Amino acid sequence: MDATLKLWAVIATVGTLNYLSRLSFIALFANRHVPPLLGRAFRYVPAAMLTALVVPMVVTLPLGPIAASAPKIVAALVAGVVAFVTHSQLKTLGSGMVTLWVLEALAQRFG
Amino acid sequence: MRQFASDRDFRAGFVAMLPACIGIAPFGLVCGVGAAAAGASALGALGLSAIVFSGAAQILAVQLLAAGSPLAVIVLTCFVAGLRFLIYSAAMAPYLRPLPARWQHGLAFLLTDQAFAASVRRFDAGGDPRGGGLFFFGGGFALWTSWQLTNIVGYFLGNLIPAAWSLDFAVPLCFIALVAPHFRSYPTITAALVAAFAVIAFAGLPMKLNLIVAGVIGIAAGTLADFARERWTPR
Repeated sequence: MDATLKLWAVIATVGTLNYLSRLSFIALFANRHVPPLLGRAFRYVPAAMLTALVVPMVVTLPLGPIAASAPKIVAALVAGVVAFVTHSQLKTLGSGMVTLWVLEALAQRFG
Repeated sequence: MRQFASDRDFRAGFVAMLPACIGIAPFGLVCGVGAAAAGASALGALGLSAIVFSGAAQILAVQLLAAGSPLAVIVLTCFVAGLRFLIYSAAMAPYLRPLPARWQHGLAFLLTDQAFAASVRRFDAGGDPRGGGLFFFGGGFALWTSWQLTNIVGYFLGNLIPAAWSLDFAVPLCFIALVAPHFRSYPTITAALVAAFAVIAFAGLPMKLNLIVAGVIGIAAGTLADFARERWTPR
C-alpha cells in the first residue's frame, strides 16, 4: 500500500475508533447497563495499559544487561514516587528528567 | 469562538489546563519528531495529531508505520491502547448527561487523560452542568491547540533538539504521572505489575503485539485480584 494512503487510512480508522471509545458511555451506551464483570475489568484498564506502554520505554527490550537501562529505571521509579505523593504532572516530569540527566552525566564521567 | 472566549467557566477551564499543556509539550514534540521520522508529510502529521489527538496512539502508529507493520496491526494496537477512553467516557457520562446531545458529541472528542482528570474535579465541586461543560470545553480547547502547536514544532524543528536531552523520556514520564497516583489498591498494583512482567516476557512477539497481550493479561490479573480481595475481606 502507498505510504501516504496508509497513513491516512490509519488516521481515519484510529481517529474514528478513538472517537467512538470516547463517545461510548457519554452517548452511545448512555442508557445501557454495563455487565458487572465488564465494569469490574474496566477499572484495571488504565493501570494495565499505561504500565504496558511505559515499561518498554524505560527498559530496553528484549531484556539485555540491566546496567544499560539502569539510569532510566531509577529515574522512572523516582518520578513514580513523586507522582504518587504530589499528583503533579510537572513535578513528575521535572524530577524524572533531572534524575535521568544527573545519572547519565555520572555514568559518562565514571562509567 | 468569541462568545466562549469571554465566558467565565470557559476561561477557568482554559487556565486550569495550562500546566498540563506545558507538561505534555515535550510529549507533543516527540510525537512530531516521530511523524517526521516515519516519513509522514506535514499535512499527514497534522492530520494525525488533530484527528487522532492521543499521544499514545500517535507514537505507536508512527513507530509501527516506520517498521512497515500491516494496517490491521496498527489499528488494533492503537485501539487497545485507547481502551482507557472507555473508562473516562463512563466516568464523565453522568456529568455530561444533562447537556444537549451536540455538546456531548463535541466534548467527547476532547476527552483525554488530562481533560478527564481536570474536569472530574470541577464537576465534583458542583455547580450547573452548563458551567461544567464550558469548563471542560475550555480545558479541552487549550489542550488540543497546544498539542497541535507542539506536534508541528516537533515535526519541523525536532532534529534541532540535542539527543543528550533525552526528550523521548518525557513520554513515559507523562504516563507515569497519570498511572502512579492510582497505585493505592492491591488489585490496581497487581494489574500494573503483571502487565509490566508480561510486556517484558512477551517482548519476542513481532509488531509490538506484546503491548496488547500484556494489557489484556494485566486487566485479567487486576480483575481476579479484585474478586480475591472481595472473597477474603471480612465484612
